[in-house]
Amino acid sequence: MRRLSRLTVMALMLLAGPLSAGAANAVDASRILLVAHPGVDTHQLKRDTTRAIFAMRQRTWPDGQAVRVYVLDNHHPVHTRFAKEQLSVYPHQLQLAWDRMVFSGTGQAPNRVRDQAEMRERIATTPGALGYLEREYLDARIQVISME
Amino acid sequence: MLVSKSFRWSDLRSTSAMVGLLALSVVPHARSDQGVLDTLQVHGFLSQALIITDDNNFFGPSSEDDGSLKFTEIGANASLRPHENVLLAAQVLSRRAGGDGKEASPTLDYGLLDYQMLSDQQRTFGVQLGRVKNPFGFYNQTRDVAFTRPSILLPQSIYFDRTRSLALAGDGITLYHEERLDTGALRLQAGVGQARVEDDVERTLGLERFPGSLEAESSAIGQIRYEHDGGRIVTALSAASVNADYDSPNGSPGNGTFQFQPWVLSFQYNEELWSLTAEYAIRQLKLEDFTALSDTDKDGESWYVQYTRRFHHDWQWLVRYDSLVNDRDDRSGEAFAASTGGAVPAHSQFADDITLGLQWTPHPRLMLAGEYHYVDGTAWLPSQDNPDPAATERRWSMLLFQFSVRF
Repeated sequence: MRRLSRLTVMALMLLAGPLSAGAANAVDASRILLVAHPGVDTHQLKRDTTRAIFAMRQRTWPDGQAVRVYVLDNHHPVHTRFAKEQLSVYPHQLQLAWDRMVFSGTGQAPNRVRDQAEMRERIATTPGALGYLEREYLDARIQVISME
Repeated sequence: MLVSKSFRWSDLRSTSAMVGLLALSVVPHARSDQGVLDTLQVHGFLSQALIITDDNNFFGPSSEDDGSLKFTEIGANASLRPHENVLLAAQVLSRRAGGDGKEASPTLDYGLLDYQMLSDQQRTFGVQLGRVKNPFGFYNQTRDVAFTRPSILLPQSIYFDRTRSLALAGDGITLYHEERLDTGALRLQAGVGQARVEDDVERTLGLERFPGSLEAESSAIGQIRYEHDGGRIVTALSAASVNADYDSPNGSPGNGTFQFQPWVLSFQYNEELWSLTAEYAIRQLKLEDFTALSDTDKDGESWYVQYTRRFHHDWQWLVRYDSLVNDRDDRSGEAFAASTGGAVPAHSQFADDITLGLQWTPHPRLMLAGEYHYVDGTAWLPSQDNPDPAATERRWSMLLFQFSVRF
């Protein structure tokens, strides 16, 4: 079953074309992936850049397109893991960073989604969208962004 | 009085200008691109505190039987991205901290246009125009928002109320830069403009009994901040130079100048369940050329060390030691007391505060907090709540409870 879903994902990624080539290199199947709207022209982000975007300090993709950041609830295990493992920050630090941006006029809050299914829908349909998903939630409409 | 009136008018003007600016930028785009309105965000907050002291008054008649409820903070803001590189944001704040309620009239807290002209993988660079919150120490920019504070009161040695208008925001231009290094991120911010000099400053300087007024001159502020390893270690150095001229309609106290140069060194270490924070500040204050007042040149010193611990997901406790002296050359305040002939007690020149606090956030939009302060000294005790310094007690304690909501 697990192998089957992995094969499906691989097939989907092949269908999605070279955009998701970075994801095929990902070795750890349980890792939470950085995902974006398929129209985004940036396929690779440095970890520091990713962190600055999720902290809402950087508002555009490196090519100039506006970023729309999507996140799950602070206590959601996937959010917690993404923050700690991929961004190397604690969820409480991200929340404080957002509050400071929002209430000092230096930035905006990220968009909240209820669960990964909603995350997938919003990422697939919002130009410039950036978020994160577990591998099993990927589909052909989602671009995986590789992180250096 | 004249001063507060003119400031209110200018606030009103800038508020309407900001609203007009927001409206202008929305209308043409709203027709062509629905996406712009999708970026509109509106947020707000409300906090109400109950303050009980055994002696001395803090933010209202806190030493009377029922304590004081005169600590209320209400704010609302809107932000919009009319273009991918541009952010427009404004916030209106109504804050009461003791007093007769006049000061609680809503003011424009910030109103700015932020143009992030460069953002790539390596750096971001941008400029902000308008009324910008001062990046001073860790907490100044959002000092009135309970959800961004570790405790009900920020460490009063640095974030005291007596000259808060100076610290709040400046009207001018700010540049910011973030550079990503191998080990962390370096962030710089520098601004020039006009500081807000309001009634609180004159009151603190003892100028409110004269008919003249302080007029803000150009001021500058800068902060350099380094965040190591995703913010596990954060250090910052902030500096400002605030200048004002005193315009005296008659010979007393005469025209004079006011200069305030604070420096703050900040340090924070973050773990998942705890944070250790410390800040150290030196405040250089100069009053010169007044005929009726002798020249003053004082270096005040402040520092605190604070430990916060998170537990059970939505709880946090805090312990803090916070210390302030008004004049490093007169730590005990004895020389100052002697210079007033004993009219003002020595303990008005320092304050050491031990704080224990607890926060509970049962829902992301709701926070309940309580804290206890044991204070030796009255240096940051608001003078409007304690008009007679000789009537204050040196050692006093304070209990606070606060209810906060936001959207």
